[in-house]
Amino acid sequence: MDYLLHILIIAFIYSIFAISLNLELGYTGLYNFGHVAFFGIGAYTSALLSLAGMPVAVSMVCGMAAAGAIGAILAIPALRLSGDYFGIATLVFAEMARLFFLNERWLTKGPMGLPGIPRPAWIGGGVAALPMFLIFCAILTFAAFLIIRRLTTAPFGRALKVVREDEYVAQALGKNVLTLRIKTIAIGSVLAGLAGGLWAHYITYISPGDFTLTETILVLLCVVLGGRGTNWGPILGAFVITFFGESVRFLPIPVDFGRVVAPLQGMVYGAVLILIMLKRPEGLLPEY
Amino acid sequence: MIYYLQLTLNGIIAGSIYALFAVGLTMVYGVFRFINFAHGELIAWGAYLALLFTQTLFTLPIYHAVIPALALTVVIGLAQERYVYRPLRHGNRITLLIASIGLSYLLRNAIRIIWGSDLMTYGLRPMRGISFAGLSITPTQVAMMVAAVFFLACLYFILTRTMLGKSLRAVADNMELAAIMGINMKQVSFTVWVLASVFAGVGGILLALDTNLEPIMGLTNLIKAFAAVLLGGAGNVWGALLGGLCIGISENLGVAFVSPGYKDFISFAIIILVLLFRPKGLFGVLRGIR
Repeated sequence: MDYLLHILIIAFIYSIFAISLNLELGYTGLYNFGHVAFFGIGAYTSALLSLAGMPVAVSMVCGMAAAGAIGAILAIPALRLSGDYFGIATLVFAEMARLFFLNERWLTKGPMGLPGIPRPAWIGGGVAALPMFLIFCAILTFAAFLIIRRLTTAPFGRALKVVREDEYVAQALGKNVLTLRIKTIAIGSVLAGLAGGLWAHYITYISPGDFTLTETILVLLCVVLGGRGTNWGPILGAFVITFFGESVRFLPIPVDFGRVVAPLQGMVYGAVLILIMLKRPEGLLPEY
Repeated sequence: MIYYLQLTLNGIIAGSIYALFAVGLTMVYGVFRFINFAHGELIAWGAYLALLFTQTLFTLPIYHAVIPALALTVVIGLAQERYVYRPLRHGNRITLLIASIGLSYLLRNAIRIIWGSDLMTYGLRPMRGISFAGLSITPTQVAMMVAAVFFLACLYFILTRTMLGKSLRAVADNMELAAIMGINMKQVSFTVWVLASVFAGVGGILLALDTNLEPIMGLTNLIKAFAAVLLGGAGNVWGALLGGLCIGISENLGVAFVSPGYKDFISFAIIILVLLFRPKGLFGVLRGIR
């Protein structure tokens, strides 16, 4: 039962993360392959501040603000690049962020990671607090969902889709493409920071190994599996992927082969990603 | 002074390997106009396949193991094209990119299943370095340089002196016009993937000779190759070659100034700076031989 609660919490955290990537990738068509960097910035900022004694809620908000600010600052130069190049720049940025977490030992304790990150005081720690934490995550996911749905059904969302389809058309219609994209990345990064903060305060331990290309692939998979450019898609994708990932634990795998489980899971994720692109690029819930 | 010269020499050696990675990546970009995120996995597979043929089942000496290893790398490269990229070529660009990321992840994890995640080597005896004028270089490194120069010379010959190379350059210049002129697109595509796989595989094996093998080597070196490609201007083969050398030298010289933990940071920084200030590459103005 507690295990189920744990999976649900992870699924909700990934839902927020996927919703934020979907805004960039699905609605605005920005190939952000380094979204995990903002997840990591949110997690580290929030963890460090709360370890320094700040209330968890305040430090999570600071984490979101830090992720959003860094996202917006990065976006201004990076958005001069188009398509594929933006993808490379973001991928590289994520690797730079990981190296930063790994090497700045005075701040992040490097590869040792940060243990003992507090849970929110009003939720409390331990297994008994899991239902409360689940409700907390569910509320935040729902809030993120509502905000994004409000934004994307508003004229703002239609403008984003025009930018995705053809940026020159958007320009001709008098939309400022750069501002729209910067706003998208700022909002997306804030939400990724929120997901990262939740992750840090839920798991209570983070290390640079948590913010690698693997997490980027996972969240990308959640978005494209669920359906790019839809509101429910990323949430569906996050739940399917999380439950699938956890179900692997119940397979009757001999102990000797224990070491192949994680790579096998990785191979399946990669293969699913390719198959979706080949057979059903619109995902489980198509946009139209 | 001699310290910096030594660093530069190490940089040239590393750079010639990066150049091997980069020419393949840039050729694929030049012809198909997409960035193959799975190129790094060809590097890693080349190196691991050579390991396979030196081990228990075959026990070939390393210089014989290279041949079947490269042949299999080419098979992987061609399979990438046939089963993933060709069906997606006329689709949305993002589907192609996401598929290539998925492919790289699939191939990397396959390496982890077969060989595990630990560091491995070819188990060659370490050889004494040759010293001259205060600089030292190992026989392996000499072999790396010779091989890199040899393969790049072959590439030069193929691209400039053969009909196939000329048609390849024509396609890179303008695909539709080349198709109208009756250039066999299938043949060109085949050549590009064979060349890209061979160069990635050779580079991977040479790199693993000097350092070691680990599953992540594909990704690390893919980023170096990206940096080299961007520095040289995407699609420009000779630019990629020079770019590779620049990355190798600046990375090794950079170690004199920043902590070794940030060695990879240098190529990242180069990527970001080039993308921001010279998106066409340092040599973009020259237009080079494409």
